Parts: sequence; C-alpha cells; structure tokens
Amino acid sequence: MTTGQIVSAVGHLCLLLWIVIGDWLFSPEKMPEVTVAEVSLMNSSEFDELVKASPAPAPSEPVKEKELVEPSAKPVVTDPVEPPPAVEDIPEDVPVLDAFQPIETPNPVAPIADTEQPIPVAPSDVKPKPRPLDRVAAVPVDSSTDAPDVADVATPEASDEAAPDAPVVEKEPPAAPEEATTQIVTEAVETEDNAPQLPAMASLPPRSRPKNLIKPEKPLKEEVASAKPASKKARDDLVADAIAAAVADAATEETTDAGEANAPSGPPMTGAETDAMRVAVQACWNVGALSMEALRTTVVVGFSVNQNGKPDAASIHLVSSDGGSDVSTGQAFEAARRAIIRCGSKGFPLPKDKYEQWKEIELVFDPNGMRMR
Amino acid sequence: MSLFRTLAPVLALAVGFFLGGSIQSSAQQGPLRITISDGVIEPLPFAVPQFIPENGASSDYATQITQVIAADLSGTGLFREIPASAYISRVSNFDAPVAYEDWKAINAQALITGAVSTSGNKIFVKFRLFDVFSGQQMGEGLQFAGTLATWRRMAHKVSDAVYSRITGEGPYFDSRVVFVSESGPKNQRQKRLAVMDYDGANLAYLTDSSSIVLAPRFSPTSNQILFTSYESGFPRIYLMDIGSMRVQALAQQKGTMTFAPRFSPDGRKVVFSLERGGNSDIYQLDIGSGQTRQLTNAPSIETAPSFSPDGSQIVFESDRSGTQQIYVMSAAGGDAVRISGGAGRYSTPVWSPQGDYIAFTKQNAGRFHIGVMRADGSEERLLTASFLDEGPTWAPNGRVIMFTRETAGVGGRPSLFAVDISGRNLRQVMTDGPASDPAWSPLLP
Repeated sequence: MTTGQIVSAVGHLCLLLWIVIGDWLFSPEKMPEVTVAEVSLMNSSEFDELVKASPAPAPSEPVKEKELVEPSAKPVVTDPVEPPPAVEDIPEDVPVLDAFQPIETPNPVAPIADTEQPIPVAPSDVKPKPRPLDRVAAVPVDSSTDAPDVADVATPEASDEAAPDAPVVEKEPPAAPEEATTQIVTEAVETEDNAPQLPAMASLPPRSRPKNLIKPEKPLKEEVASAKPASKKARDDLVADAIAAAVADAATEETTDAGEANAPSGPPMTGAETDAMRVAVQACWNVGALSMEALRTTVVVGFSVNQNGKPDAASIHLVSSDGGSDVSTGQAFEAARRAIIRCGSKGFPLPKDKYEQWKEIELVFDPNGMRMR
Repeated sequence: MSLFRTLAPVLALAVGFFLGGSIQSSAQQGPLRITISDGVIEPLPFAVPQFIPENGASSDYATQITQVIAADLSGTGLFREIPASAYISRVSNFDAPVAYEDWKAINAQALITGAVSTSGNKIFVKFRLFDVFSGQQMGEGLQFAGTLATWRRMAHKVSDAVYSRITGEGPYFDSRVVFVSESGPKNQRQKRLAVMDYDGANLAYLTDSSSIVLAPRFSPTSNQILFTSYESGFPRIYLMDIGSMRVQALAQQKGTMTFAPRFSPDGRKVVFSLERGGNSDIYQLDIGSGQTRQLTNAPSIETAPSFSPDGSQIVFESDRSGTQQIYVMSAAGGDAVRISGGAGRYSTPVWSPQGDYIAFTKQNAGRFHIGVMRADGSEERLLTASFLDEGPTWAPNGRVIMFTRETAGVGGRPSLFAVDISGRNLRQVMTDGPASDPAWSPLLP
C-alpha cells in the first residue's frame, strides 16, 4: 500500500465513524422547542360568511381618547403593589402614599429585566442620562430639560441602593486635581501683589507638590469589581439589576435637580475647577510673616460663597486646627482669612452652574511644606 | 441570548461607570474641601501713616517714632512698608474711623495708626493696628509712657507689639547688643567692648582699648556682662556691672587661663573653659559662693559651653573625636552625646532662647557657615556661607541670629550681620566701625 492509500483509508474510516457516532458525541445544542399551533384551512366562502357575521366597528373619537387613557392608568395602579420586595425595602418612616408613587413608574423596567432582553429597555430609558460622559468632559448639563422625563421613574428602592455607593464615586473628582496640581505654580505670583493670572502661572514649574491631596477614587474599581464576582447563573440577573439601579439612580438625580430650579448644582467640580480655586487662594496666601510655630500649624477655614463667587467675609470661621498653640493657630487663621478675602474680592473662578457644589467651602491651609523654603 | 451573555460583562461595566457618574453628581455632601499646601513667601505690605502729634512739642518725636517703627518692621524682612506717597487716605485724627477701602486699594494688609504727645519730660505714644482686608482691629490699642530720652524704646515697643500680633513670634526690637568694637590695622587691632540698641543706635563703649577683650555675654537681666580680657597678659574672664561699670575677675587660679564664659539661665552660675597644662575643660562657677566645679575631664579641648533655656543641659564643642564637633551633656556634667554628624568642623554652639534649635559655626571645604540644628542634631541647616562667618547669637525671640562676618584680604574687616533662621533676610547691622563677637541681650524690661 502506498502512503496515499493509507492516508485515504484512515480518512475514510474517520468519516465513517463520525457519521455513525458523531451525532451522539457532538450533539448540537438543542434549539429551543418550537411551539406548534394547529391551523385549520377554510375556503373563501367560509371566510366571507365569517366576516359578515362579525359586527362592524364604529368608534367615536371621544371614546377613543377615553380608552387610551384607561390603559395607561391601569398599570399605574396595579403594578406597584405586585413586587413585594419593593414594599419591604421602603423605610418605615416613609408615608405609604409616597412609597407607592415611585413604585408605580418602574414597571416598564421590571418586566424588561425579567425577560432578560436589554435591547428594547436600556436604550430608551437610560439614554436620557448620559451624565458620566458630560462629567468627564466637564460640560455643564441643563438638568431641567431632562427632569420631566425621568422624574416619574424614581423609586425609593433605587435611591436607597445608590446611596451607599455615593461616597465611593464622590471621590472621583479629587483624583484629577492631583495631576493638575503638578502643573500649577505660585512662584510667579510672588512678584505680584494682586490676584493671580492663571494662564501665565499654568506654564510655570511647580514650586512644590501639595501633600494632602484627597484620596484617589478606589470606589470606581469596587463598583466594577462588584459586577465581576457574579456567577454565570446570576450574571443575567446582575446585569438586569444594574440597569435597573442605574435607571432608578438617574431618576433620583433628575428629581433632585428638578426640585432645585433656582440653585443650579450641575455636575461635580472637576479637577481643573478645584485647581483653579486652589491657585487663586494660594496666590494670596502669604506665610512670609508667620512665626515658625504658625508655619507648623494647619488650619481648616470654612466660609460661604455668594453666587458671584465672592466670599462672605462674615462667615469665615476656623473649623479646626492641628499642630500649633492657640496663638499660632490664631496667626495661621488670620493669614488664611486675609488670603480668602484678598483673592476673593473679585470673585473666585468657580463655575456658576455648580453653585450648589461650592456655596460652602472649607479650605485646608497646610504650610508645613513651606516652612523651610 | 448567547450574544447577550457574551456582552453581559461589558454591559455591566458600562452600567457601573454609568451608575458611578450619576451618583457622582449628587454625592457631594457638605462643603467643598480643598487643600492649600503652597502659598507665597513675601513681605507683608503695611502702611504706617505718620503718627499724629497731639501737641506742638511732639511733632518731631511723632515723625521720628514713625520712622523707627517703619524701619523696625521693614528690617525684619517679613514686612514691606508702603510709601506714604501711595496713600489715598490721610489719617488726621487718631480716633477717626478707618477708610478700609482706601487702604485695600493700595494693598496695605496691615495699618498702624498712632499719636504722640509730650508733657514736660514725659512722652506718650499710643497706637492701633488694623487688619485691613478683614476690616478689623488687631488687638487693643496700647499706650506707652516714658521720658523723652527713651522715645526710641517706645518706638521699639510699638514695633514689638505690631510684630508679635501679626507674626505670632515673640518681640525683640526693644533689646540691646554688646559686641567688640575694633579699630586699627588687621595685624594690630585694638578692641573694646561696646553696647548699642539692636539696630545700632545709642552706641556706648564700656572699656578702653588698653587690652584685648573677647566674647562678651549679657546676663539674663541685662545688667551685667561677662567677657574675656587679656589685661593680665593671659585670657581671663571678668564680670562687669553695667550700671556702675565695676569690673570683677572671676575664677582666678594660678597657672590657668579662663575664657568662653556664659551665664546660666538664672544668672547665678557661669560656665566657662579653663586651660591647665595644655588641656581645656569645662567648669562651672557659682557666682555667689565663688566655688568652681569641673564638668568635663578629657584630654581634648572642651570649650564654648552654652546652657539650654531650662538650665538642665549644656551644649559645647570638643575635639575629642579628632575634629571639632558639638556635644550635649547634663548641666551637672557626665557623659556627653555628640550631636553633630556632618562633614567639616563645628564650633561655638549656642542654644536658642526657645530651646528648639542650636546655632553653630561650621567650617567645611574652605568656607564658614552659620547654621542651626535641633538639640538632637537633626534638621541641620546652613544659613550662610562666606570667607569667615562665626560666633552666632540669638535674638530674644529665637527667630533671628546675629554673627560676625569678616571679609578676606589684608584690608578685610569684621562686621555684624543678622539672618532670619529661615535663611532669608541676611543683612548687615550698622556699626560705627569694624565689629565682632556680638551677644544679644534679653528683651529689656
């Protein structure tokens, strides 16, 4: 036998084996069973008789409107009562009526999660709140326009779920300042008495790196990690829950925004915005006349800011201090107060659409890095 | 369905970010908190309009007192005077309300107003200090009274009050400095003790030029001075009473030399070096009883002792390790701990009045430095560098150090310099001629 014949024989043998037992070994994934409906045939005369026998519809317009209203009202009343967990999660101090209201609206979302079909659900309801992107880009969002659409979706359960996560994500903005501060300089300002020129300073090398930067966000990782551990079985449920939570959270946010029409909050302060504030203050924070002990004293100074960005001088107060005696704390506080008043006299560079974020400010003045400069 | 399963993690991730973003907007609870860890270090601008003379005879005093106050504050390097030509407001009445906006407009952060009046041989100086940007008076207004001859001291008192209120440091303007005034060529210098205000005013000589004098030191009460003189042909320590100008030799022992004396904080004891048979050790003398006690006993040279402010320890220099280094021991003597560890030679240590730092002279790589370090030797910092810097002395508040700087060459001459312990504001102290070995007095009563 030639090699070719041997190869051919083996090949054919394998083919035969596959035909015989292949279907048993490699059974294809069973397709879902098809529901079969019995169909009976009828001729045209039978069909005509059937049509004649049925009453002709004659709907009047007012009746139509009424019928349209009724179906929409129906789910509102009935559905909220159905999901028992929703009612259990409601805090006891929440009035029953209030609890019912939010539960009514999520009905469209719940069935979607149950049917494991994200396609029709998520896009339509979640899209109106592409806030994360806006925040990254630091573009203020006019929340009032979205509010009416999403407000009805709010549920107490969703807001309760989102609350524990809130501090986690809150720390995201501080991460940006850390990077930005390495590009911000105050050295140039030393030669000028007046308010800082931000663009000019931004190009200068930093004098020193701030020590007490706010912790970078780890919560975001946790947020993602929490999705990972889901088992294969629970994965679909998890996704559905996440989508539901996101939608509910968006509803909560929009509700809040809609309720504060006169006090625009907007997205949180970005790193660049807090940095601009930091630079503005440190340009006027002169520690050259402080005692050595006061240069070891960190003070936290709180104050209110008017909507025009100017600090309310009467509201400037010492929140806390660390590292010094009462005398040195007093000196450090006075230097900080001078800085706030001086550089705030023309208004701090704060985004007006985020007034809610900065109407109350606490500045931590930490001179330790400057003591022996 | 399988497509959905495949995309589920991605979807979950997206939802996570989405959720995070949405929470973020409503997450900030409480005030916005920002940390400021960088600022500016520059003199604080202040305005001191001429003090108002409240009667005709006080006009000149008002002018001069205002000038002294401005010079005191500007001389620290911590303040910058705004020239009167820039003023918008004029202060014509001591009790008139302050036009804060006018002072803000010229960026005056502190405003000092005052008035001077005289009555016979008496002079009265009163002042107020304002924080312009907060629109508040800082502390209460004060008034000082004295004889006409002490008008400079009253100006210094006003400066001290202003300085302390703004900086939080202790005062030091109302103090004096004793030093060695020098004259003649470098190889044949004549030296005599002199005393002056901290700013060089009111100079007075305490000894003549008949013998060489060195290392004067004020007593804690500023009414006595210790110094070393070669009057007998050998160095020997003496005590001078400034009021009576009476001089008394201390710790006389035949065949010995004594030098580098310094008072204890209570003024009752003196530590000094005594040389016998080629070996120098540190001794302690009880002024009242005249008894001496040996504190060190080593075959090396121990000298330049200085008490800690609480009197419990003594810092001194010794070459027991082969080169001059700084050591700390108990005031009762005993084992000493070396605290200097850098390259070069360390000498003339002096404990700060606050006890937080020790100033010293350092010689390294052909240069002399004045530096400070903690009492345990940590945080060593060199404040100056020159051909010859030596002999630091602390201001009463422990913030400023005065020392001798000598220029190089045949025509080189010593002079007095002062520097802030941050290393800023190095400046020469004006004297009539060459000067060395300064010693700062405590704050005058």
